[in-house]
Amino acid sequence: MNEHASSAFDAQDFRQLIFAGAGCLEANVDAINALNVFPVPDGDTGINMLLTLRAATSAEAPDAASATVGSMSSAIARGALLGARGNSGVIFSQFMKGLAGGLAECERADGAAFATALQAAADAGYEAVGNPVEGTMLSVMRAAAEAVHPPDGTADAPEVLRAAYEAAERALAYTPEQLPVLKQAGVVDAGGQGVVAFLAGMVNFVSEEQIVLRITPPEGGLESAAANVSHEFLEHTEEEMYGYCTQFVVQGEGLDPDAVRERVMTMAASTVVVGDDRVVRVHAHAEDPGPLLSMGAALGALDQINIQNMDLQHQEFMSLHGYGEDAPEQAKATELAVIPVAPGDGIARVFLSLGAAATVSGGQTMNPSAADIIAAVQKTNAAFTIVLPNNKNIVLAAEQAAEFSDTPVAVVPSRNVAQGMAAMLAFNPDLDGEENAEAMRGALDSVRSGEITTAVRSTTIDGVDVEEGQAIAILDGGLAAAAASPNDALTAMLDAAELDGGALVTLFYGAGLAGETAEEAAAAIGARPGGIEVEVHEGGQPHYHYLVSIE
Amino acid sequence: MAVKVVTDSASDIPAELAEGLGISVVPCTVFFGAEAFKDGVEITKEEFFNRLTTGNIMPTTTQPSVGDFLDVYRPLAEAGHDIVSVHVSGKLSGTVNSARLAAGELPDTTVEIVDTELASMGAALAAKAAADAVSGGADAAGAAEAARNAAANTEVYFVPETLEYLKRGGRIGGAQALLGSLLSMKPILALVDGEVHPQEKVRTKAKAVQRMRNIGAEKAPYREAAVIHRVSDEEAEAMAEHLAQFTANPVIRAPVGASVGAHTGPGVIGFALWKGE
Repeated sequence: MNEHASSAFDAQDFRQLIFAGAGCLEANVDAINALNVFPVPDGDTGINMLLTLRAATSAEAPDAASATVGSMSSAIARGALLGARGNSGVIFSQFMKGLAGGLAECERADGAAFATALQAAADAGYEAVGNPVEGTMLSVMRAAAEAVHPPDGTADAPEVLRAAYEAAERALAYTPEQLPVLKQAGVVDAGGQGVVAFLAGMVNFVSEEQIVLRITPPEGGLESAAANVSHEFLEHTEEEMYGYCTQFVVQGEGLDPDAVRERVMTMAASTVVVGDDRVVRVHAHAEDPGPLLSMGAALGALDQINIQNMDLQHQEFMSLHGYGEDAPEQAKATELAVIPVAPGDGIARVFLSLGAAATVSGGQTMNPSAADIIAAVQKTNAAFTIVLPNNKNIVLAAEQAAEFSDTPVAVVPSRNVAQGMAAMLAFNPDLDGEENAEAMRGALDSVRSGEITTAVRSTTIDGVDVEEGQAIAILDGGLAAAAASPNDALTAMLDAAELDGGALVTLFYGAGLAGETAEEAAAAIGARPGGIEVEVHEGGQPHYHYLVSIE
Repeated sequence: MAVKVVTDSASDIPAELAEGLGISVVPCTVFFGAEAFKDGVEITKEEFFNRLTTGNIMPTTTQPSVGDFLDVYRPLAEAGHDIVSVHVSGKLSGTVNSARLAAGELPDTTVEIVDTELASMGAALAAKAAADAVSGGADAAGAAEAARNAAANTEVYFVPETLEYLKRGGRIGGAQALLGSLLSMKPILALVDGEVHPQEKVRTKAKAVQRMRNIGAEKAPYREAAVIHRVSDEEAEAMAEHLAQFTANPVIRAPVGASVGAHTGPGVIGFALWKGE
């Protein structure tokens, strides 16, 4: 693949280059997920970056005959922006946007053009976030850009890419020195690792000297992260709508996910294969699911088999979105709508009961894309829409959606469900959109937020020792306690919260918790001194035993 | 011959204030099942709430009949007085219709009827404005004008313990939208264009009271203020003292009576503010 080594890239080369970067990211996606440092099951950095790149590379390409690197990179960037998921994905999409801006005038791209474009990409990343944090993918990208800037005019494109990659790798190794939380967990930054993998994939595409990435997962991290995340990932990855969407899990011993992936790729499209030596998850779109299943059965025990006819799904999708004859009418036009992101059915019901026009499903480990949010905005058909992301990792995607929407969209940056509920209560249909957005922003800090989940690995964070499998309590974003059971963790968190007399604690219990357990927790809270009020709702969210609002 | 001011029992006007201003009060009727009581005449505020909270029959209310109005109007008319009749919002009660029909029975008497588009002490402050105008020498038309001006500048806010009573009594108005809420809340309600309308949604009583105090400060200054309540004396007194900072006149304490209480339920706290220097 080194025929381009001495020449500038044309549009098709550039597209192949991005594909190659995406391929390398995909090959390392579970390892990147496992680098997530906080001991909660949000190991989705790699997935979010990969989904963003998938959207980028599946965007409609300009006409092959007339395409320039400029028009191709701009099409790819737009695909990334619309498909970006999670903070890491959104920042990555901004890199793509910056890259496209830097290449806008280029018919072909040589070393100098790449050097300039990398700098524009790094700048765009910094501009995308309100408070840039060093020790993240931003630092890694900037190091890559600075290593090749200013362009000296003699280096060709492969040399520029390799220099950028090498600087990125060095910057990545330095991230634990910049971010104490990384050092505590003994990992490098996951998003930065994603950038390095992407650059490595591009370098490998254009040079003979191949880079072999070595990603060191934290102890016990890889297995749990893969198991937690892949399912959500698979559900989100269905962009090629033909044939049969075939998903299954193979359980066995001595499995080799890389080898499985290679075989599946020869048999099907939209392939995602993740896992470890004991569990491998397969997702693929095939004309015939039979051979895939036979291959899996030969490796071990099949489980969670799910096969759907996507040709039928596709027709339903088209019909639902107004392309078919029997398309349902779009919602009646309204003046003003609020669309919250809800991580569970029960939470969605509560938002709807408070006057939300619609909800977008998503939360931790299942961040909706900007395109998902835009689709909900369009379907709701309001003159002005307010979006509540309800998760800090969805705020940027919501802002991206606001930028691309044809109708005005205001984002009220709720970082959790508790803030989202407080904002929803401040919504007043008598006021106009901007007035509401302002009032709702003002309500965000009127509540405190708690989360009870399960630690996916042993670590020490914020001075609290956590054992893998323990229930942990996060209060206002910081680790407050670790305990044997969810209810014990909740009790410890409320102790730490030092509740005022007359405080109201609202519990949304998760899909994995029995209602009686939540009622027991509520009874214990109600019995606390100081007249604490308590209210329990079925939230239905995954991963979190409880989401808690305290006011 | 003089001008006399009349209001109805849904104004919650305290008896001693009505007496002092020479205002007559036409009673609404409250029913517990088949048992009927004229508000403030056959049942006191305390008796009503005792029965509401201890019994299991939900009370209902009706506007005063034409006969009830004539019982008040006729003696005034026969004494040669003109009448200014100041009442609860026509969108919440048919009281003003009864008043008009009663006035039609007295063709030789001038009866000015004012729909305040308010309730409770909001209507009472407008009636007080009419009485004050009369003391200042106004005729019936002038006193009615004073009442309308006061009503237009008066705002009523309240926080019920529950929306249940407003819902059952059919007076929930724009707060209907709050009924579907799966989250418990203590909404702050107001009278807007003669109807109940939600203003703000807060989750706890303590926060609701704090927000009410803030609203009291935001609306300052006011000519008159009244606390409307069915809460403990301490809570009512605390709100009255807070409002007293923003008005030169004494703040009126008005416990809620049967006509209003049947729709708010116990535990309600609110105020009426007649804005201005």
